[in-house]
Amino acid sequence: MESIERFLPQVWFVILALFLFLYVMLDGFDLGVGILSLTASTEERRGILMTSLSNVWDANETWLVLMGGALFGAFPLAYGTILQALYIPIMIMLFGLIFRAVAFEFREHSSNKLVWNLAFGIGSFLAAIGQGFALGGVIEGITVDSSGHFVGGNFDWLSWQTTLVALTLIQGYVLIGSTYLISKTEGDLQEIHFSTAKLSAYTTLIGAIVITIVTPIFYVSARERLFSAPLVYLFALIPIAGVFLVWRLLNSIEQRRERRPFVWTILLFLLTFLGLGLIVFPYIIPTKITIYQAAAAPSSLIFMIIFIGFLIPIMLAYNIYQYIVFRGKVAGEGYGD
Amino acid sequence: MDFLSNAVVLSRMQFALTAIFHMIWPVLTTGMAIYLIVVEGMWLKTRNKDYYLHARFWSKLYVLNFGIGVASGIPMEFQFGTNWAPFSEAVGDFFGSILGFEASMAFMLEAGFLGIMLFGWNRVPPVMHYVATIMVAFGANLSIFWILSANSWLQTPAGGVFVDGKFIVNDYFQAIFNPFMRNSILHMFLATLETSLFMIGGISAWYILNKRHPKFFTLSFKIVLAVAIAVTPIQLYIGHLSGEQVYHYQPTKLAAMEAQWETIPAGESPSWSMVALPNDKAEQNDWEISIPGLLSYILEIKPKLSEPVQGLKDYAPEDRPHLIGLIYYAFRIMIAIGVFLAALMALTVLQWLRGKLSAENITQQKWLLRTWLLSAPLGYIAIESGWIVRCVGRQPWTVYGEVRTVDAASNLPPGNVLTSLTAFAITYSILAIAVIYFGSRIIRQGPNLDLLAPGEEIREGLDTSQAEFVPDSRPVEAQQ
Repeated sequence: MESIERFLPQVWFVILALFLFLYVMLDGFDLGVGILSLTASTEERRGILMTSLSNVWDANETWLVLMGGALFGAFPLAYGTILQALYIPIMIMLFGLIFRAVAFEFREHSSNKLVWNLAFGIGSFLAAIGQGFALGGVIEGITVDSSGHFVGGNFDWLSWQTTLVALTLIQGYVLIGSTYLISKTEGDLQEIHFSTAKLSAYTTLIGAIVITIVTPIFYVSARERLFSAPLVYLFALIPIAGVFLVWRLLNSIEQRRERRPFVWTILLFLLTFLGLGLIVFPYIIPTKITIYQAAAAPSSLIFMIIFIGFLIPIMLAYNIYQYIVFRGKVAGEGYGD
Repeated sequence: MDFLSNAVVLSRMQFALTAIFHMIWPVLTTGMAIYLIVVEGMWLKTRNKDYYLHARFWSKLYVLNFGIGVASGIPMEFQFGTNWAPFSEAVGDFFGSILGFEASMAFMLEAGFLGIMLFGWNRVPPVMHYVATIMVAFGANLSIFWILSANSWLQTPAGGVFVDGKFIVNDYFQAIFNPFMRNSILHMFLATLETSLFMIGGISAWYILNKRHPKFFTLSFKIVLAVAIAVTPIQLYIGHLSGEQVYHYQPTKLAAMEAQWETIPAGESPSWSMVALPNDKAEQNDWEISIPGLLSYILEIKPKLSEPVQGLKDYAPEDRPHLIGLIYYAFRIMIAIGVFLAALMALTVLQWLRGKLSAENITQQKWLLRTWLLSAPLGYIAIESGWIVRCVGRQPWTVYGEVRTVDAASNLPPGNVLTSLTAFAITYSILAIAVIYFGSRIIRQGPNLDLLAPGEEIREGLDTSQAEFVPDSRPVEAQQ
């Protein structure tokens, strides 16, 4: 049964990547809108931004909870080691998420909207930065002993490379937030987001290019993976596809298309994920612990696949339904009465 | 101030703080959702608009509560990884998978329909909206199932063996349906429901006392009273069953709950300690007031003990819980509140039968209504007390009899944990104040009785006079 023992962790790696991708795409635009709200010029505009999220932010954030639970159950060693190693960025993210979440309720009731606007905006920013450093920290590698326990330093996750990743992630969120708002707003407000989408498309692209160059130079293990056949052909395609997608994205923005920018951005995110997945696989705690070493017992993995696996299409279905119910432009304020 | 440099103690404090704070919010998320199912169902059935207005009013408090529940819940999940990594590695095969089930079956379901429930009144047909309300309630209460199954497994681990400190699952169903699971889930479910009933009842009582929409709130008052007739006594019974299980499965916890230092052999009829001053160092109670013969009735509803009650002194200090006073009194507070709420229910039902809760008479029931008002927070105190007994009484174990708490904690720089602990304390204090402030504002403002029910707009369109058609360009969310 050796093949199934290798197959199950691979399946779970893909499922986790799917959950993470869904989270980054969906909460990505939530957080992006939150960051953009810091630049909104009027209270009414900020209200519109928040209203565009009000029906879906909670379900979007839940993919993070789902990913955490799946990581815990499928790769318990990785869950513990990674979160412990990234204690500080994870805590920053948690507090950002707390403030972002409560801002929705409290702002509506409060006469001092400014406080809660800042909570929404800064909370979103903090969550994004925490995630950025966490992502950077994982890619950079986590120092572990032979059994996979963390033995590194408290600030290992903080370097100029990870700062680059964090900043690029923020730009990516601003990009996807902008393209989301293009589809949900109208008039002058929509026009503003065509501009922010264009700007953040460039900055994300620049960030991604620098990271792509930097990673093989500074990380030996990545270099080895990236330049060995047959993966090197796949890896060569990714930057090409990336440039193509960015070109199409900028094109759709120029043409003032309402939904296309969001779609191109999603594809760009998907491409990035594929790239990251290929770099990381088969390690779950880069650069020493593989998915096979960190995985739960096969019986557990099978049990989880049965339950969670068949739920995936159901979850996607009712999430899509909620989006359909609330499709259309946001015309004014009002998270709740 | 030694503990400030002890990461294990700090991680424990952080978990306690975050859990105690988080526990407050799912109470209404689960219990009030059931109430919303009742009132929305009654509206669909009777078309009495008051039911619709109740659904709209209580939803305002519901969403305020829900947001903090989500906000404070995310740190709970991540904390197992950040602060309890060895624990996560040891039991993750099972425990982690349960959290995964909770996220996928329960959280996602409630989140996926919450938007429709709160804002979709005019966007989907009424039946679909009702489905959304039911899904939110079902998802929320399903969380109780999974979380309590997981926590019960920590209390009575089953379905596998520990090999070299790691739990290997043999039988998943046995692990999920472990010995404590059924009673714990029921006990928690009834606890959140009961607390929600008395919250709604207490708030309704406030309106009646102040003669604001008395008829409107007598409706909610009577609904929760009717449900309480079943819930309060059953909860006492399930509580008893839970205690009996602690007696059989967790002798150290029982000894702490009863501040019982000496072992009592089987076959005796010992007294039940009502108040005492436990002394951990001297391993005795400095003074005690007890009721003769009552302990065996409390534990098993039998005149004599079937098994010995192990005393705390039977165990080495590192194998039994400390903070005996805390566990002992938390237990008694929880029981006292449970009994009190049942009595309050009974008294109120008596008044109801005597016609004192009719439209003319109810506003005169000042003392009864005041009692309901002051009793509103009691359920929360009982729930927190119960959890304190459950978790502090389980020490020194994280998984009873298998994994010690000191071994379960991440090896972190104490400064990290102290910083995050302080940040949680400050943040949660701010949030608590904000919730109380905004919640009381919502209550003081009262319900909007002029809201149009979804069906009403259509009827208004039948007006045949020559009116100019002005489309309502306000967003749906503002049309409330």
